[in-house]
Amino acid sequence: MEKFVKAFPSKPLTWPRGKQWALAGVVGSGNLEVLFERNPKTTDQMDCHVESSIPGYKDSWLAALGDFASNYPVGGTKVTIHDQGADPIVVTFRLRQAYDHLLKKTT
Amino acid sequence: MSPAPKDTRRRNKAERMRRVGKLASGKFVSAKSVPEVLKLIIETGDILCLEGDNQKQADFLANQLATLTKKDLRDIHLVMSCLTLPAHIELFKKGLISQVDFCYAGPQGQAVAQLLADGKFPLGAIHTYNEIYARYYVDLTPRVALIAAVQADRQGNLYLAANTEDTPAIVEPTAFSDGIVFAQVNEIVDKLPRIDIPADQVDLIVEAPYPMHLTALFTRDPAAITDVQILMAMIALRGIYQKYEVQSLNHGVGFNTAAIELLLPTYGEQLGLKGKICKYWMVNPLPTMIPAIESGWVEGVFSVGGEVGMERYTAARSDIFYTGRDGSFHSNRAMGQLAGHYGVDMFIGATLQIDVNGNSSTVSKKRITGFGGAPNMGCQPMGRRHPTKAWLQAGAESNPGPGSIPGRKLVVQLAETFQSGRVPTFVEELDAQDPAIKKALHGVAPVMIYGDDVTHVVTEEGIANLMACRTIEERRAAIRGVAGYTPVGLKRKRSETRELRSRGIIQLPEDLGVSPSDVSRSLLAAQDIKGLVRWSGGLYDPPAQFVDW
Repeated sequence: MEKFVKAFPSKPLTWPRGKQWALAGVVGSGNLEVLFERNPKTTDQMDCHVESSIPGYKDSWLAALGDFASNYPVGGTKVTIHDQGADPIVVTFRLRQAYDHLLKKTT
Repeated sequence: MSPAPKDTRRRNKAERMRRVGKLASGKFVSAKSVPEVLKLIIETGDILCLEGDNQKQADFLANQLATLTKKDLRDIHLVMSCLTLPAHIELFKKGLISQVDFCYAGPQGQAVAQLLADGKFPLGAIHTYNEIYARYYVDLTPRVALIAAVQADRQGNLYLAANTEDTPAIVEPTAFSDGIVFAQVNEIVDKLPRIDIPADQVDLIVEAPYPMHLTALFTRDPAAITDVQILMAMIALRGIYQKYEVQSLNHGVGFNTAAIELLLPTYGEQLGLKGKICKYWMVNPLPTMIPAIESGWVEGVFSVGGEVGMERYTAARSDIFYTGRDGSFHSNRAMGQLAGHYGVDMFIGATLQIDVNGNSSTVSKKRITGFGGAPNMGCQPMGRRHPTKAWLQAGAESNPGPGSIPGRKLVVQLAETFQSGRVPTFVEELDAQDPAIKKALHGVAPVMIYGDDVTHVVTEEGIANLMACRTIEERRAAIRGVAGYTPVGLKRKRSETRELRSRGIIQLPEDLGVSPSDVSRSLLAAQDIKGLVRWSGGLYDPPAQFVDW
């Protein structure tokens, strides 16, 4: 079990009207769940709360989250990740999916 | 001084056949006499070719050969493309082989590594397929070739059915140099569907007590394709297939390329690419191509081998596949490899390891598998002269100098940054560079595809265009930029990645208009094997291990 909280600097996210959160993935074996929510306390960082069933990969997590916060404007978000042993390649993929869901206009 | 060359080999062949004498009735020998016949036709010091292809095996003859001992047979120089069967390994354990030249040892990779470590594997060299066939005409011409066919007629003509594979490439140099061609067949019949090898080139035939070994090697169940593989397929379709308008291509046999085949009738159609890309294929009759073929994407497919279960489908689609006049499927590995080398715009395939310079290999420390055909296709054909749009466009991007070819074949490595079990695909140094492996292979590391030949690396992170890099440092930075969170990827510098991205050398999914939230298994034209059967109108007969209904 690995559990940590860390904030990464990021450009402010322009929240689409009506959106409060977005979710991608599921907590299941070899998969993970990413939840984006509004964080009223900040506009220039992504606050991450990570819980992973597999210990020992904190460096990879920090690198992946840091890159994500640097590549996309996600300041002002709280990101909660529940990981059930997802392959490392799934992590960025689910982050991007949740981010896409967040930006998609609700119809 | 040795005597001037005359017709010694022809007279020697006649002598060998005379020894067989009454054991043969015409060309035909009984199954139980085979060990004796092998003793009589093979001489000490012979170059012996045992047909072991990627898919079919002369397994009865191999098993009989493996019953012989050092008293019967010694100092044999074994030449063959694939070491696949336990019987092949047995020949080494018994010490019958004084040298071996081969291409590939898939299922026996671990046994080969062990034999090498024990000093029982007297290796000449590991080749690519066309490389060893070429040497059959030069310095590795077989004195005796033990081959496999499906049927023989009473005259001794052979029918090879869907899996022609290596047989013509073995028979021709042997038969035309006074060597002995000995075929095992599944059955002897009065009339063949077609003649693949004329009786004139065949010396001995045995009806084997069991049908030859044949592996369904290229069947990929769509049910096992992952979201990440679909993402990579979308990235490749937009960033490479669409960009270069790839007309002719070879696909590897992994799930990544299967995903691309299954996206053509859906995502490809949405992009308006039908009729613009992927018309001519050099691949085996892959079941995952059925939806694209049925949707009218494909003009033609030429194959190096067959695929179990595709016989009725290919017979009913003779506009697409090469077939005999009765519809029976035809393949030819040597010609297929040639087509994949000179005739196509692109090779795209997966690999197990890529180093920071772009070299790739499927060798791991405990397994020596060799190459097969991938290097013939995953390389730049320096003798190519005919232009196509993709070839010229790639050539212009690779910045040719005054002394270089104007075009380039697209050589694309498609790999997730991690293999299963969190094993990184990207490494600083290939396992193939292990000093013990190099020493066993005469100092040459078994690199499958060289970084200088690779034009693009595609991962779930994006595309690295290696041919557009101007220095080796730039190439390394481009590879690190798409290597994800592997040790190689973690060493990238954000500023370098950003600079390469601004020049289009690194492209992320969003740079290509690919949105990860659009990734869905529902984009696959078929969800499972049953879906492929439906697309084929019931003509595809999947092997039993793929049928769960």
